[in-house]
Amino acid sequence: MRTRFLAIASLAVLLLAGSAKAEGLLIIANPSVKVAVPVSLSQVAAVYLLRVTAWADGRHIVPVNREATSAAREKFNAAVLQEDGATLAAYWNEMHFLGKEPPVVQESERAMLAFIQNVPGSIGYISASIAPVNVEVLAHVP
Amino acid sequence: MAGAANADGGYELGHGLDLGPFNIAGYSNVVAKLPTLEQKSLILDDLSLFVTGHFGRLVNPFAEAELAGLDILHGGHLIGDRGGGEVVLERFYNDSHLTDGVTLRLGKMLTPVGEWNQIHAAPLVLTTVRPAVTYRNFSEYATGASILYTDPNRHFPDLQLYYQPAGELSERPSSLAFHYYKAVEGAHVSLPLGLLDKIGFSFQQSKDVNGIDQSLYGVDFHYTIDRLTLQGESTFSDISNRGPIQARDAEWGIYTAASYALTDKWSAYGWYESFAERTASSTAHDVLIGLAYRPHPAIVFKIEYLQNLSGHPVNPTGLFASWSVLF
Repeated sequence: MRTRFLAIASLAVLLLAGSAKAEGLLIIANPSVKVAVPVSLSQVAAVYLLRVTAWADGRHIVPVNREATSAAREKFNAAVLQEDGATLAAYWNEMHFLGKEPPVVQESERAMLAFIQNVPGSIGYISASIAPVNVEVLAHVP
Repeated sequence: MAGAANADGGYELGHGLDLGPFNIAGYSNVVAKLPTLEQKSLILDDLSLFVTGHFGRLVNPFAEAELAGLDILHGGHLIGDRGGGEVVLERFYNDSHLTDGVTLRLGKMLTPVGEWNQIHAAPLVLTTVRPAVTYRNFSEYATGASILYTDPNRHFPDLQLYYQPAGELSERPSSLAFHYYKAVEGAHVSLPLGLLDKIGFSFQQSKDVNGIDQSLYGVDFHYTIDRLTLQGESTFSDISNRGPIQARDAEWGIYTAASYALTDKWSAYGWYESFAERTASSTAHDVLIGLAYRPHPAIVFKIEYLQNLSGHPVNPTGLFASWSVLF
């Protein structure tokens, strides 16, 4: 009985983790960000790779990441940045030493959405199943 | 702006602490030096703090200061018997982002000669012992103006031009500096091959405080093939107005390194270097092998052995170990 329960629980966890990968992501920004939408994924990558650090109005860009173990970040790394997590971690450490701030980390969808709603100039991503309330949707990652 | 993230507990080791428009970060490096023929020591090699600020496109200040070379144990004596340690202003500048790709930098900065000098923080570089060619025969700093071009889409090479018209701001003490330069100008072109991979070309023209002119030409590379990473730098400096203690008209060096990721956390590495120092008539040939353990991207332990094969040694033969943290 206990073995069956564990098997069902494990399957449920796997399905939940998989759903984040399957349903796509929304690239979102604080309402203060005024850009033509949709923004291309290469433009989003340029922001997260710290090669562009200011919006057109001069406001500092604050890119936001999920924690390293999240399925959403894994999908974002693969689909938008097209790099593995270890390479990106090494790159952001180097960039930080060179004076460019790596993405801020928020550890849940709710925290990410709240951060983007509240911090001017911020950009992040959430699961496409989450309602993008009080934020600008810049792009959709299938 | 990013301060709100930290109000939510968003600190991540290696990414510093956000306080309003500022980010405060740093790194530490404790080194055990066990050279075969010299005194053994345990030193706080670096304790660095750097602050980045963002106030729009034109005002983005950056400052880095460090405590360098503080003896903890030296030849069996505790700190206090011998003292040591210097506080150094490493970098102090402002970046103005003139366009998405063009930045004007004014102040004291690291010169882009090769890759190592720019990212010399111990947690970011391959080995505890730094190859001589990565710092010995050029000005590591420039105090003046620089233009940086960075292609947002990585289709074109990155470029940096820099110019120092007079002396170095907050000159380093003689225990840390090999030469003092009063005029420096140069350029670096970097062809990106990947996120970390690149080929770079450097040029630097300088005049030191003794009036010796130097023209440096350099090439560097960083290339990853699956678990294997190859990197290296080579420079050649043509020295005119040869000084009285010089044995050569040119100073040159080359190092090539390889590291192999054994697991996600463990890696084996090594480098070979030849360095022809201006004051030595024989060329040093050194080989180094080591092992690194990285429990976190911002923390690394290294242990390595360096052997001087021939020539006047630049780095001593012996065992070296370090523990470094980017915080």
